[in-house]
Amino acid sequence: MNFDLAIRLTEILAGFALAQQSIEHLTTFANERRLFLPRLLLAILLILGIQTVWVTSLLLLLGLAILHRFQGPYNGGADRMSLLILFCLWLALIAPTRYWQEVAFGYLALQLVLSYFISGWVKVVNPDWRSGQALSDVFQFSAYPVSESLRQWVESPRLLFAMSWGVMLFELLFPFALLSTTSLNIALIITASFHFSNACLFGLNRFFWIWIAAYPAIIWFQLRIFATL
Amino acid sequence: MLHTLKLLLPALLPSWNFFDVIAPSPRIQFSLLSKKDETPEEWQEFRPRPAKLTFIQMLKRLLWNPKWNESLFMVSCAERIIAQPAQRIQQHSEDEILKRIIRILPESNLNLATANYLQFRLVLVQRQGEQLQHEIVFYSRIQALIRDDKP
Repeated sequence: MNFDLAIRLTEILAGFALAQQSIEHLTTFANERRLFLPRLLLAILLILGIQTVWVTSLLLLLGLAILHRFQGPYNGGADRMSLLILFCLWLALIAPTRYWQEVAFGYLALQLVLSYFISGWVKVVNPDWRSGQALSDVFQFSAYPVSESLRQWVESPRLLFAMSWGVMLFELLFPFALLSTTSLNIALIITASFHFSNACLFGLNRFFWIWIAAYPAIIWFQLRIFATL
Repeated sequence: MLHTLKLLLPALLPSWNFFDVIAPSPRIQFSLLSKKDETPEEWQEFRPRPAKLTFIQMLKRLLWNPKWNESLFMVSCAERIIAQPAQRIQQHSEDEILKRIIRILPESNLNLATANYLQFRLVLVQRQGEQLQHEIVFYSRIQALIRDDKP
């Protein structure tokens, strides 16, 4: 995947994710609609690839206004990843030379790798995660399980133990996936499945779409850096 | 402006420490009152989760999940209140929770005829050994209900 194609795919996928987020706000308070209706229209322009420098600039400014409106992210990590993608995309579009464009887009790829590796690291150093207790707590009393029936998973400690180690090992090993195109493709299918599971079990639908939007950056990055080694 | 830029920094330099510690989890419960000085007796959980969801319903929520995302935002507001930040942020979180409860009242099956005021409280749920412990950690101000169907 060349640089220009990776940028275009990121615009399309990020535009779709931002549109999906924005549509969810259109049935709420008027002062929220005033922020999210323009965001929806800009997201459509981003998908279509029209005036992308101006569109990403305005989307970033709207992102700041939304942060101010909610005094922080509305949807935690998904909002932060949305802003990170927009920021890197904007930098890559306005940078004066191809070298700086690649640095900006490479930063997004690097952050995607860190998003998995650091998540794995902070879990594996916690004894509650290593014993499976932390994931049991998530199902037993956290705000995330989407239905009461999911809380019963706490009665399957061996399953939760296996799931905990599966998630931690995969997150920690993710950087090694960059060593070959095949391993990266397999890893991205697994991570997309992981986000899909989180969307189903914990209702984190926005994470699913916005993390996938960063995948073209890492596919390009792997080819650019590792395939030439 | 400086405050908003401070909010932007964690997006540009993220920490990515998702679920590092499973902290005590807040529940939002509210009570409808007829008089301002009435003592709340019945507390309702805000938007309780369904008993069960089918796989098809989960798939639909992949594209359209505004109520759940709003509930998660309210949990964030509750966590901000419990963390006792600056008064301005605490006030913002309390206002957000109150107005979102008021908005869903007409679609609830509660008797609103005598309801003139609203209060919410935050109950912190955490595991103590094998048991779950519930602790009330915050009571909101008592908010007058101003609705179109009331004079």
